[in-house]
Amino acid sequence: MTALPLTRRSALAAAAAATGALALPRLSRAAPAKVNVGFFTEAKPTMIAKGQGWFAEGVGAPITWTEYGSGAEINTAMVGGSCDIGLATGSVATAAGIAQGLPFQVIGLVDNIGPAEEMTVRTAANIRSPADFKGKKVATPFGSTSHFRLLGFLKTNGLSQRDVTVLDMKPAAIQAAWAKGEIDAAYVWAPAKSKIIEAGGTPFRTWDALDKAGYAIADTIIVHNDFAKAQPASVVGFLKAYGKALGMWRSSPEEAAKLVAQQAGVSPETAMAEMKAYEFVDLPAQTGEAWLGTPGKPGKFAEVLKGTADFLVEQRSLRSAPPVGTFGSALNTHFLQQAVA
Amino acid sequence: MRSLPNWAVTGLSILLVLSAWVAVTRLGLVRDLFLPGPRDLWLGLQELLDEGYKGRTLPEHLGMSLLRVGTGFLTGALAGTALGLAMGVSRKLDAMAAPFIEFLRPLPQLAYLVLLIVWLGIGEGSKISMLFLAALPVAAVAARDGVRNIPPERLRMAAALGASPRQVFWHVVAPSALPEILTGARLALGIVYATLIAAEIIAGSSGIGWMILDAGRFLRSDYAFVGILVIGLTGIAIDRLLLWLERRIVHWAGR
Repeated sequence: MTALPLTRRSALAAAAAATGALALPRLSRAAPAKVNVGFFTEAKPTMIAKGQGWFAEGVGAPITWTEYGSGAEINTAMVGGSCDIGLATGSVATAAGIAQGLPFQVIGLVDNIGPAEEMTVRTAANIRSPADFKGKKVATPFGSTSHFRLLGFLKTNGLSQRDVTVLDMKPAAIQAAWAKGEIDAAYVWAPAKSKIIEAGGTPFRTWDALDKAGYAIADTIIVHNDFAKAQPASVVGFLKAYGKALGMWRSSPEEAAKLVAQQAGVSPETAMAEMKAYEFVDLPAQTGEAWLGTPGKPGKFAEVLKGTADFLVEQRSLRSAPPVGTFGSALNTHFLQQAVA
Repeated sequence: MRSLPNWAVTGLSILLVLSAWVAVTRLGLVRDLFLPGPRDLWLGLQELLDEGYKGRTLPEHLGMSLLRVGTGFLTGALAGTALGLAMGVSRKLDAMAAPFIEFLRPLPQLAYLVLLIVWLGIGEGSKISMLFLAALPVAAVAARDGVRNIPPERLRMAAALGASPRQVFWHVVAPSALPEILTGARLALGIVYATLIAAEIIAGSSGIGWMILDAGRFLRSDYAFVGILVIGLTGIAIDRLLLWLERRIVHWAGR
């Protein structure tokens, strides 16, 4: 048997090194060592700020980008502490997370989804009115903003989930099943949406009526509470980077579409068409009453989140939803105010 | 105390885990979101039994899952065993089929999920095929090795006593390989069970696997835990059933 020559001095040195390593991150509060950002690959101006490194500049640290499959996955990562910022996560996951008291806050919006997520019906299925959906198969990724809209569509048109077969499928699976002719309709986003329209689909307009009926959907930027507290300057910088990208999309859309296309792996024309379907909300407009509002005076978006959470309780996806005030206080607009100042 | 019977040790270890669960949730050390307490779990079970989950009752979900597991396992294990016996008897056939079996066996089922949808659609066909493909290679390898491990003198003796090749197969080869075939079947069932959730990802809205997945999306951990308990307990029950069959059919094995 051989033993390590453990002297008192070497033990002390090791202990000092260990405590030093532990203490160091706490001391350097100026800038984070690295920031974990969860995102989705999609055609949005956020991709410009990602590709050009503006987000990394904004937070003042290298960013570890992790692509998630859904907003629900970002929520889980927030709970586990492995995600600092969630970029463009859907309002359904956001509402669910706030209702469950997950440790994040909403610091900004990316877009109002509007017509970018929409029902597509198989042209051959001859669906012209909501009643024609009876006995048909409709696919959507469960737990998504599209799923929320689809359920809202069924509910506002007096259709039950017994009348219509609602299937839980990921966008890639929707495309595959569409090619096989196995589903009659799908509620999904781009690029799957444009692919199935190409393959014999017709858009079936539902979004404006649903927006009015309280089924508005949007994409948000959420930040872990610990990160927001420890790194306020980084959070403001992140928002500013998104503002810069939005500015580029407004002033030179051609160039913006080209950059987005590179990041999203689509053609510039497709990127342009997909981005035109979203309503990207400028940072100053986000502080308006219609959206997030200002500190102490949350905007209407709090009610959208509350309505979403109530619907999820009705669907028994959530156990309970807190009052609207909880959603209002989860909107932290201090950072937005500084970003636009 | 020195020689506690094994069943008592099992009972004690279950009791220990259960009381740790009760203690941790009662003392509020973890949120119910992460680990629901006994009360939450009980309420979740009651809700699922009373109102079902998203359009189907709990027994309906379980029934759908068991039907898929049963069909996929039986067809896969039967086809795999037949193929494996043939591979064991004929070296040529083994050389032909082995690369495919060896390729299929370690392949994660999720890898060919989208292909199955494209080829077979989103109905029961693709789900059951996935389970079939999970069971087949395991059963085939077990049956082939079962045949290979038969002592050659036993075969020679049967032939010397005047048995025809057909008689040798049915009276010597098949019964001698049976213990390994049945062990392979239990192994295959475990893999089929593990594949169930992957299979129910395909255009789901039914089945215990899908329910666990869907409940997990919004961190409905009470429903997810009920689903996990149901799936785990039925898994043990089916395995015990196979073990009992094995003991009855090949009572001589391992003695």
